[in-house]
Amino acid sequence: MTANTPPGARDGAEVAAAAATPAGSYLRVVGVSKDFADCRALEQVDLEVGKGEIFALLGASGCGKSTLLRVLAGFETPSEGHVILDGEPLDALPPHRRPVNMMFQSYALFPHMSVEKNIAFGLKQEGLRRAEIAERVVEMLTLVRMGEYARRKPDQLSGGQQQRVALARSLIKRPKLLLLDEPMGALDRKLRAQMQIEVVDILRRLGVTCLMVTHDQDEAMTMAGRIAIMERGRIRQVGAPAEVYEKPSCRYSAEFIGSVNLFEGRVSEQFPDHLLITSRSLPYPIRVGYAALVPDAAQVTLAVRPEKMSLSHSPPAQAHNKLSGVIERIAYFGSHSAYYLRTPSGQTVRGVLLNAQRQSGPRFVAGEQAWMAWEADAVVVLPA
Amino acid sequence: MKRAPGRERGFAQVARARLRWLVVGPPYLWLLLFFAAPFLIVLKISLAEAQIAMPPFTDLLRWSGEKLSLTLNLANYGFLLSDELYVSAYLNSLRIALNATLLCLLIAYPMAWVIARMPPGRRLVFLMLIILPSWTSFLIRIYAWIGILKNEGLLNEALLALGLIDAPLRILHSEAALYIGIVYAYLPFMLLPLYANLVKLDDRLLEAATDLGAKSHQVFVRVILPLSRSGILAGCMLVFIPAVGEFVIPELLGGAGNLMIGKVLWQEFFNNRDWPVASAVAIVMLLLLMVPIMLLHRYQARELEAR
Repeated sequence: MTANTPPGARDGAEVAAAAATPAGSYLRVVGVSKDFADCRALEQVDLEVGKGEIFALLGASGCGKSTLLRVLAGFETPSEGHVILDGEPLDALPPHRRPVNMMFQSYALFPHMSVEKNIAFGLKQEGLRRAEIAERVVEMLTLVRMGEYARRKPDQLSGGQQQRVALARSLIKRPKLLLLDEPMGALDRKLRAQMQIEVVDILRRLGVTCLMVTHDQDEAMTMAGRIAIMERGRIRQVGAPAEVYEKPSCRYSAEFIGSVNLFEGRVSEQFPDHLLITSRSLPYPIRVGYAALVPDAAQVTLAVRPEKMSLSHSPPAQAHNKLSGVIERIAYFGSHSAYYLRTPSGQTVRGVLLNAQRQSGPRFVAGEQAWMAWEADAVVVLPA
Repeated sequence: MKRAPGRERGFAQVARARLRWLVVGPPYLWLLLFFAAPFLIVLKISLAEAQIAMPPFTDLLRWSGEKLSLTLNLANYGFLLSDELYVSAYLNSLRIALNATLLCLLIAYPMAWVIARMPPGRRLVFLMLIILPSWTSFLIRIYAWIGILKNEGLLNEALLALGLIDAPLRILHSEAALYIGIVYAYLPFMLLPLYANLVKLDDRLLEAATDLGAKSHQVFVRVILPLSRSGILAGCMLVFIPAVGEFVIPELLGGAGNLMIGKVLWQEFFNNRDWPVASAVAIVMLLLLMVPIMLLHRYQARELEAR
């Protein structure tokens, strides 16, 4: 924002038009860009989040997701664009007047205040009656199951307890939008899984609209109803976890979520219900089990998830979608094992077998010759 | 050759214990020789009587005949209480030191805050600018203030030249000059602990407070100020304690009306040559200063306990 012309004042008509949001989009981010001195952190970001939705911004560090969160909280002013929450433009509101609260990364609890004072902080600014503040603090303490720790100081709490306090502190003002910045970042693996469920449970119960930022795909997939994948300041794909995983729209989101085998190829034949693609790195053509809107002879990238690969000693009967190679390495993960097959063309292809499945089927050892095959429906066609 | 493991550990333990004494010993020895011993000597002198002799005070222990007698003369302390001069000098010292400490705090806090918020490279430059003057002699720097503050000094010349005043201001040898001198000399001692404290303050705590609806003055009162309390206390102690006994600044810049206890002490020793009374003055000053130090200690102990 420039000092003399806040965006809200500059183009009021535009904001008013954008503020008339369609039903279902409670938070609207409209064309938000953010320039810093040396880089552009956000590039024309558009986003709509429904009321009561838990939405995750997922991306590697430096992709702009934290900047977007800070724009929503009001700590950063966008260079362009608007943020509209519940029909009200937020652009001109300073952080302390926004109906938005944030749970900070590693919590930022006030070290000199007890648990209950930390939680009460937001209400004390509102000038509520003491009795009402006390009542709502107790309500929050009960909600996050921290009642017996009310008088402790933050440094006398474990990581999970600190997180509960931070959550209670950010919820007590009943914000229209809750922001979570890497909510599980400071917890160890085991506690993380437990807190993910617990936090989602609390948010659902309160019906609060929540936007979270994370670099951890498991966290995003477990907690959020919808995910936006961000890369270099842009949103690459938005969708439900299964949708983003099964139908990545670009190479970046395919590679970012889970692991994936990618093959470069050229469309050789198109049919009403399937495609045939030839790849220089594979000896057999690839059959895609649906029609895709691609021009003839277009260069494409094909993505196949490792768990869609089947492994065998003898060549599969099908004419398409198979390859052979030497098992280079087997990685054991307890519940499943990953097999790395090196093809004659030099590509390493990853296949995953559940270990329950492995017990009944044939056994494979490193150094053996083996075949991998996959279904036509398992292939995702991406732009090259 | 194999050694019994228990024996080996024994050697290591002895060696470590010796090393510990080697590290801890010298400072204790230092304090014993240069703090405890002089203190006891001063205490002893304060309980003696003045006499025109060498040394200029009586012995506490005396052999006469078969008797060893110990004479403790409390008259020096009684004298301090009875004479208006001493009481007012003490009160004056405490008042001036307190005001100067508050002035230092008011000036140093915003400075420390601004420096602590700077990018790390620039912080060092500004800290150096604050520390640099103390590389020159303290006495010379205070003398320099005479040149600035006197009637035909730099300040008055400048104000006259600008037409802001018609006649030179009488600043030198006034209480104002005294405060200028003390604040100038002790500002770094207030600023450095405050800076060390504020630079550690986590920005996200300030953002969290803002996010929860606090306006900037509320963030200051409810988050920044309580979190910087230990820096404030340390800085105040570092200024207040030496300021109470300050001698050079009131002597050079202060007026006749601002009698401070440091000056009284000097006069008792060097003008009156009354060592016992001078020692009593010093002991009482020490006791007066013990009170704030002990309060600070109590506070710090409580702070640690709460952790």
